[in-house]
Amino acid sequence: MSFLHVKLGLKVEKETVSLTSNEEEYYMSNGISRRTFLMGAAAAGVAIAAGTYFSWNGKNIPEEVKKGDVTYDVLVIGSGGAGMRAALAAAENKGLKVAVMTKLQPTRSASTMAQGGMNGVTKVTDKEDSVESHMFDTIKGGDYLCDQDAVEYFAENAGKNIYEMDYMGFPYNRQKDGCFHQRKMGGHAHARASYFEDRAGHAMVHTLFEQCLNHGIDFISECIMLEISMNGDNLNGVIAMDMRSGNILGIPAKTIIIATGGYGRAYWVRTSNPYSSTGDGIVAGMNVGIPFKDPEMVQFHPTGLSANGVLLSESSRAEGAILVNKNGERFMAKYAPEKKELATRDIVARAIATEIEEGRGIGEGIRAGVYMDFRPIPPERIRERLGQVWELSKRFAGVDITKEPVPISPTCHYSMGGLEMADFHTGASRVKGIYVAGECSCVSVHGANRLGANSLSEVLVFGHTAGDGAAAFAKSNNYAGSQDKLAEDCSRWKDTFEEVTNRRRTVGKTVPEIRDAMVNTMWFKAGVFRDEQHLTEASKELEALEKEYSHCYVGDNSHVFNTAFYQYIELGNLLQISHAIVQGALARKESRGGHSRRDYPKRDDKNFLKHTLIFKDKKTGKYRAEYKDVVITKYQPKERKY
Amino acid sequence: MDMNLKIHRFVEGKKWVQDYKLTVKTGMTVLEALTEVKEKQDPTLSFTCSCRSSICGACAVRVNGNAELSCEVLVETLMKRYKTDTLVIEPLGNFKVIRDLVVDWDPKYATIKKIKPVIEPKKEFSLETGCKQSPEEFNKFKKYAKCILCGSCVSECNKSALNQEDFLSPFVFVKAERLVADSRNRSPQEQLKAIVEAGLWRCFNCQECTAKCPKGLDPAGAIEKLKESTFAHKLDDNVGARHAKAIYDDISDSGTLDESKLNIKSEGLIMAALRAPMAVRLMRTGKMNPMNGHPVNPEIETIRKIVKNAEAASKEAE
Amino acid sequence: MKYALFPGCVLEGAAAEAYTSLKKVCEKLNIGIEEIPNWTCCGASHAQGVNDLAALAVNARNISIAEHMGLDIMTVCNTCTLQLRVAKKRLDEDKALREKVNKILKDSGHPYEYKGTSKVTHFLWILDEHPELLKGKVEKPLSGVKVAAYYGCHILRPEEVMKHGESNQNAVYMENLIKALGAEPVPFSASHKCCGFHAQLAAEHDVLTVTGQIVDSADKAEAAAIVTPCPLCQMQLDMYEPEGRDAVGSKAEVPVLHLQQLVGFALGLSKADMGFDRHVSGQKKLKIG
Ligand SMILES: Cc1cc2nc3c(=O)[nH]c(=O)nc-3n(C[C@H](O)[C@H](O)[C@H](O)COP(=O)(O)OP(=O)(O)OC[C@H]3O[C@@H](n4cnc5c(N)ncnc54)[C@H](O)[C@@H]3O)c2cc1C
Ligand code: SF4
Ligand code: SF4
Ligand code: FES
Repeated sequence: MSFLHVKLGLKVEKETVSLTSNEEEYYMSNGISRRTFLMGAAAAGVAIAAGTYFSWNGKNIPEEVKKGDVTYDVLVIGSGGAGMRAALAAAENKGLKVAVMTKLQPTRSASTMAQGGMNGVTKVTDKEDSVESHMFDTIKGGDYLCDQDAVEYFAENAGKNIYEMDYMGFPYNRQKDGCFHQRKMGGHAHARASYFEDRAGHAMVHTLFEQCLNHGIDFISECIMLEISMNGDNLNGVIAMDMRSGNILGIPAKTIIIATGGYGRAYWVRTSNPYSSTGDGIVAGMNVGIPFKDPEMVQFHPTGLSANGVLLSESSRAEGAILVNKNGERFMAKYAPEKKELATRDIVARAIATEIEEGRGIGEGIRAGVYMDFRPIPPERIRERLGQVWELSKRFAGVDITKEPVPISPTCHYSMGGLEMADFHTGASRVKGIYVAGECSCVSVHGANRLGANSLSEVLVFGHTAGDGAAAFAKSNNYAGSQDKLAEDCSRWKDTFEEVTNRRRTVGKTVPEIRDAMVNTMWFKAGVFRDEQHLTEASKELEALEKEYSHCYVGDNSHVFNTAFYQYIELGNLLQISHAIVQGALARKESRGGHSRRDYPKRDDKNFLKHTLIFKDKKTGKYRAEYKDVVITKYQPKERKY
Repeated sequence: MDMNLKIHRFVEGKKWVQDYKLTVKTGMTVLEALTEVKEKQDPTLSFTCSCRSSICGACAVRVNGNAELSCEVLVETLMKRYKTDTLVIEPLGNFKVIRDLVVDWDPKYATIKKIKPVIEPKKEFSLETGCKQSPEEFNKFKKYAKCILCGSCVSECNKSALNQEDFLSPFVFVKAERLVADSRNRSPQEQLKAIVEAGLWRCFNCQECTAKCPKGLDPAGAIEKLKESTFAHKLDDNVGARHAKAIYDDISDSGTLDESKLNIKSEGLIMAALRAPMAVRLMRTGKMNPMNGHPVNPEIETIRKIVKNAEAASKEAE
Repeated sequence: MKYALFPGCVLEGAAAEAYTSLKKVCEKLNIGIEEIPNWTCCGASHAQGVNDLAALAVNARNISIAEHMGLDIMTVCNTCTLQLRVAKKRLDEDKALREKVNKILKDSGHPYEYKGTSKVTHFLWILDEHPELLKGKVEKPLSGVKVAAYYGCHILRPEEVMKHGESNQNAVYMENLIKALGAEPVPFSASHKCCGFHAQLAAEHDVLTVTGQIVDSADKAEAAAIVTPCPLCQMQLDMYEPEGRDAVGSKAEVPVLHLQQLVGFALGLSKADMGFDRHVSGQKKLKIG
């Protein structure tokens, strides 16, 4: 089947051969003299080892994939918590071919960054906890936009997944009786978040990765999914680019699980998310007919560093840090007279945004903010409990928070919206053979606002479910795709690559220029506050940017690890995501959870107790909105008060 | 303040060093400097990053010869450390280079597999009800669970620079110790055996890994802990272990090392005899004198007791 | 200025010349040294891999004797310095551990407890901190002599324990000392590399290779001598230089000096005073002293 693999790397390979010495086929970085720098003189000593050149024959991709000799039963896209949990579940079915593809290395994702913990009712720390309570907290937190049957399934299974992770080796912090300890997170009535220090996500990812290595699950690393290939209603597989060789691969699969994470990077520097959260999987899913559910539901965390959006933990305010504006006024008293800084994330974020808008902020443009002042907290306590916050402020803002206040502003933290999961018992989307899980999906468990530590547990529960679901489908169905179509899609992408990367500098704006313009639009017109006028403007601006994007300058035509092309692809996806956010936000004429309309400041259950579904027309590429009722089982909507 | 970056470029078989100039801003990390170059000056510069908050491990590079997490370390700090406005940036050492600052992780993952990187929980534990472990037991390994797989520790590893075929990268030892010290694990015997075979005793103890780990995990310390465990699990029949044991025993025998016997104890008489030409050379310069009896410390009884009592106390702590 | 000297095992044996030269140099510089009575081996970076607590207790004993003498400790070996400083740091920072170790010492009949009152420093650091010691003493400045400063590992790493000067990663104090002796430090790429001494038996081929590389690197930098503050590095580079050469196919032959020998030459002492006849390599090549 090697015809499937359009070799972009051909020219490169030839050159390499001529450059490669006989014995050594790669360049091993080594031994440049550190002493050279010492005296500012040129190197007088020899470099201890010199090398030759890399042969491009990486092991990031299994040999059989390169040759086109394999059809996967379950191909998981994304190696965050959701992806790896899904792969492990699927691989329990002996005989199934399972692989995980990721555009980075397996342990690098948003999941790795999660700090607080993962929820699950186990009652090990708080005997009073119950599945109903977890369910209710989640629904209330989500401002009643959650599908309650799905939340029930989620709450019932979350505890089970926590025990499983214990058995897999997750390094849980422990309590005296030997059980893992659970802590209470904001918006929860009971202590139900298990954790590893302030690195819960990191521990989860590494535990899952080690399990995957031990189970011999194939990884297809440094390989970016470009498109899902379909033949009518049948899945062919996935089109992806091997970053190392630049080869476009068509990988046939009976089922795929999209687990590509969120889309916080639509707000670029104003997000706590990693660079990779660009909504790739959502766009690929929309292109094959899966609707984007509740795209307008984006969570803004109030305290990101103004400098770069990095999160300063919730515990800052819990420990007693206060917020002050340019005039030294502790403004939260105006917005939440009782709770002040301890009001919920959305309220505090909106208060900060108002202060800035009304001219009482500091700094300008996208980096405008207010001060967070830690001086009411004794320095010893800062050192003891807020070590990471101290360090991040020092590093990125150059501020010692025991002595000075640090500029902060809201930062996009989580994407509640995502690809519609049509059946939460299997993880299936409405397109046959395609499953979704994790932050890229919308079940909907989080509704209009996600509670702390509910995401990692969602990732486990639905990763597991989707893995089982996809495996069951793969076992009872034959491959029905067309490999000819797969090959055709491959060669179309090859042409795209050549056209895009060989554009000349004169053609238009650069990728970062367009991205910065997009961020300005999204942050100021579809950010913490929204209204008809700004959203309409945003929509027009995005259209203009999409035009510019179609002839933008990429600036690198190498086939080897072309990160400029990769960023071009990501920007294309972010533009489409942004459009969907704006469209969803325009249509939702109410305020609920993370979505806040100045012109419709109240929640409107009569008209909007329903999910937005954005479909993309396959021919025209235009978006179309539909609505779907929220599933209410046990809890009737009430006003949300904390 | 202006600065120069000299970046080691490697694209499709061509290697060169490229100069860039930029203005240093407050709080500018090396990663931000690289990003600025890519976005404003040269889109072809390639490097990897993801979290920009020192937890994903994607961004480690070498600056002026030493591995750094580029999203963590400030340009200013380095300019001050090296007293220069020029920073030389290279890919991490002891990795194959794919392009510019991007390196190949696959051989490293393959070595993680060698140690069977999972615990095998004790019989009384189950998937449904999890495991039990006291906070003290948890404390024994928690530090080693913090590795972010950034590769900084292997970049200047002196042993790895010479041969990685018969050695593990320092972070693999960290991972190993994390598993070996985890009380949920039925028995670390298998893992320890794999580690000994994969080169535990070949570490030079050069401490580069410990010096470079941005998370302060002390891989060289993890190696020492693993060595200790191999004795407890009777996996000490090899040159390295015998050598360490010989040194250790000398403390109780006489208080100081008896160089003339050390090799014989470690390698056996025959191997040591093969070193005869060397020994002759040393005797000629007076470096070695087997005729001199080795002096015994007058307080040797106390010293022996200290060692015995310490051994007993560490058994107790088990 | 007076120190309790912890000589370390090799100064009593294979590197005896390092001891004789140290005594002579300290006398000239008016640094008083008194050997710690009945000291034991520091564990040579191996004992803790057999039993960590035993290695720690043995060093607590060593330090406690110096404390009883009322003196700070001077060492002349990188590895001894590191082992003693690691022990000191752990005992100073962890009260429970200190109590445990003191109980072991007491139960074993050792008369002193570990208190944490003596510092542990290295001969090189003392010279760096007290430039006045050399004032007016450099009788024979080593003008025009190119010297490769080879630090070795344990005096630099880990920085937490071995911090000296502004930055260990960019340490320049040995080069400064070389300049103060009138000689010229040459930039040389292997300066912070490892000599491999501690793995000589377990990874012989690698260690000989790196030995060869270091010597070759110094040779390419046109150094007339390599100087090192560590007798273990010195032994590795000097004694195994011939095998090292073979391992890398080099012809380089460079004398490898103990730091105190180089200082001694600048103070006007002779090769014989410094015990240079006990060296294996570069006998004919050394043009100083
Ligand atoms: C700073 C921070 C703190 C957080 N704290 C918490 C917390 O305490 N508790 C909690 O519950 N949640 C927390 N979250 C949220 C949580 O981490 C994420 O929502 C969750 O981990 C998402 O997991 P995922 O597996 O769905 O996606 P991700 O972890 O984002 O993984 C996505 C994967 O898809 C891959 N991918 C993406 N696009 C492509 C493509 N085109 N081709 C191939 N591969 C691709 C990526 O490389 C990556 O491997 C936090 C998030 C952040 C950013
Ligand atoms: S101490 Fe051992 S593992 Fe660490 S860098 Fe040195 S040789 Fe490598
Ligand atoms: S041990 Fe430290 S330096 Fe090595 S990979 Fe892990 S975190 Fe990075
Ligand atoms: S970018 Fe993740 S560790 Fe630096």
